[in-house]
Amino acid sequence: MTDRDGQGSGAAGWLRGWRPAVSMASRNLRRNRVRTVLAVLGVCIGVLAVAALGIFGNVLALGADDAIGDIGTQVVVSPNADAGVESLSDADVASIRRAVDGSAGGGAAVVPLYSDSATVARQGDQTFATVYGVEEPALAYEAAEGRLPERHRQGAILGAGIAADLEAGAGDTVEIAGSQVRVIAVLVESQTFSPVAPDDAVFLPESAFSADGYAQALVISDSGAEARAAADAIRESVNARQDRVELFELAALVDEINEFFGLLSTFLLGLGAISLVVAGVSILNVMLMSTVERRQEIGVMRAVGVARRDVLRVLLAEAGLIGAAGAAAGTLLTVLLVAGLVLATPAVDAALVIDPTNGYYLLLALVFGVGVGIVSGAYPAWKAANERPVEALRS
Amino acid sequence: MSDRGAPDEPTETGYAVELRDVVKRYPSGGGEPVVALDGVDFAVRPGEFVAVVGPSGSGKSTLLNVLGLLDDPTAGRRLLDGTDVTNLSVAGRTRARKESIGFVFQDFHLLPTLTAVENVAMPTAFDPGDATDRAADLLGRFGLGDRLDHEPTELSGGQKQRVAIARALINEPAVLLADEPTGNLDTETGEAILGEFERVKAEGVAVVAVTHDPLVEEYADRVVDLTDGVLTGGLPDGLGSETRSEPNRERDARRIARGDG
Repeated sequence: MTDRDGQGSGAAGWLRGWRPAVSMASRNLRRNRVRTVLAVLGVCIGVLAVAALGIFGNVLALGADDAIGDIGTQVVVSPNADAGVESLSDADVASIRRAVDGSAGGGAAVVPLYSDSATVARQGDQTFATVYGVEEPALAYEAAEGRLPERHRQGAILGAGIAADLEAGAGDTVEIAGSQVRVIAVLVESQTFSPVAPDDAVFLPESAFSADGYAQALVISDSGAEARAAADAIRESVNARQDRVELFELAALVDEINEFFGLLSTFLLGLGAISLVVAGVSILNVMLMSTVERRQEIGVMRAVGVARRDVLRVLLAEAGLIGAAGAAAGTLLTVLLVAGLVLATPAVDAALVIDPTNGYYLLLALVFGVGVGIVSGAYPAWKAANERPVEALRS
Repeated sequence: MSDRGAPDEPTETGYAVELRDVVKRYPSGGGEPVVALDGVDFAVRPGEFVAVVGPSGSGKSTLLNVLGLLDDPTAGRRLLDGTDVTNLSVAGRTRARKESIGFVFQDFHLLPTLTAVENVAMPTAFDPGDATDRAADLLGRFGLGDRLDHEPTELSGGQKQRVAIARALINEPAVLLADEPTGNLDTETGEAILGEFERVKAEGVAVVAVTHDPLVEEYADRVVDLTDGVLTGGLPDGLGSETRSEPNRERDARRIARGDG
């Protein structure tokens, strides 16, 4: 007899006990199929609610992020007219560069701009546009058509809006303030909300301007935090003695918008979680009923020498299986639902929906589903496993 | 199983199971506690078949529960295979039940979701190693070799009780405790089951059956009487303080006359 005495030790022994437990649990669940299916359905709906609402909130946040674009990463530096500064001198630009290079991150690009306005015409179409003089357009913009030169020496770069108005593309010629200029590139449509709106602007080389100072300087960073550091550094050094420049930055606003969407996501998840709690209560109910009904059986198992731990395992496996089945079904249903919504609603950008962060919500819902099963099953299982077999057998 | 007649370890007394001056009291709602067992001395030798008789409410179930380590005595000592098992932890009692005690119930108490062979192997289901072969052997010995994969609903009462006996024997116990083993069976099937008990005891297992059935008393080596918690004839011949060896028939006649047969 002693050769069978050992319960096995360590993780291997612990794991081995789960195989018969899961096998017995699945048979017990099959005994009352309707009840099991209803409990699984409850978890399924709860998981669907958590996953779908979580993804919904996330898509909203991603969409907003996309729409706001990179306003949070841009700082616009303008001369402070109130202090009598009409334009930014080369010295100002140099000190802005120094300040930005010394700030945290330090990788931000400084793009000074001349500014004027002029009529732009092509083949009878005519429009009034802001004209910027820029030396290094590639630092701030991207071309949809043509190529942005490292150093802008000749030709015009058109914003997306104005190019569409004039039906002009790279290689065409447009008339700017009376002189013919070849178009070397068209910019991609701007997602950015900024005082320097490139869509309806034309970019010319600096040499086309005869102004004695820059109208603005753009500071382009990779992240909101970097932009904020750059802005702080400019305030501290360039504006140290006198407020020479004014800064326009939206990083703080973007933070608040993100915070709002974070809150919205949490709220939606909370809403979904309520239905998962309801599902948990239904598992609790099912498990309590089924352990009461099987009181004698559990008593017999205990009487013939099945340990409390193993009875607990069988019952936890039952609850866990309900949770896992419901969670799997709910996750699958969420994927189908979201896919259906994307197909049915062209307004939703599919790229936002297949964003990997949405997978996190699916995983979260899946884990929550199984977790709810086990947590709700814990009390009935513990109660049944700890009942004295002599009491259970008496009934 | 055949080595049960001569236990591996030397024991104090050589009894498979033994109660010494055991008292069991239950609290009863504020009043005087109910005394279910009152100074009970009881011992069974390996390979002995003892029937416990007595009127309803006399403490027979309590005696079986205390013997079977399902309940602890209030006072006195309990020995299993010569080892004192009076005060074991819950886990210790569970292990001792699994290793040394087999139970047979009036209602068979097979798990309805398991097949016959799985029911027999159930006490060892969570242990390392697969007991299916042993379970199948046991069922074969009880004539159920062709019913291994049948579920309890597909078996007759006698077949269910045989499965239950096989389950009780899966761990080669020292003691087999039966609670009204023939209570739900017709006379013919009951006799067949008692025949199985004879085979079990021939293999050295001590069998204790609590019963109202005169048929069980016929098959028993010894019949002890429990009335109001007092056990008479609890020890094998010549060892008890109140030795009594009335022939069975005489006592039966008396019990029938008393009207609780």
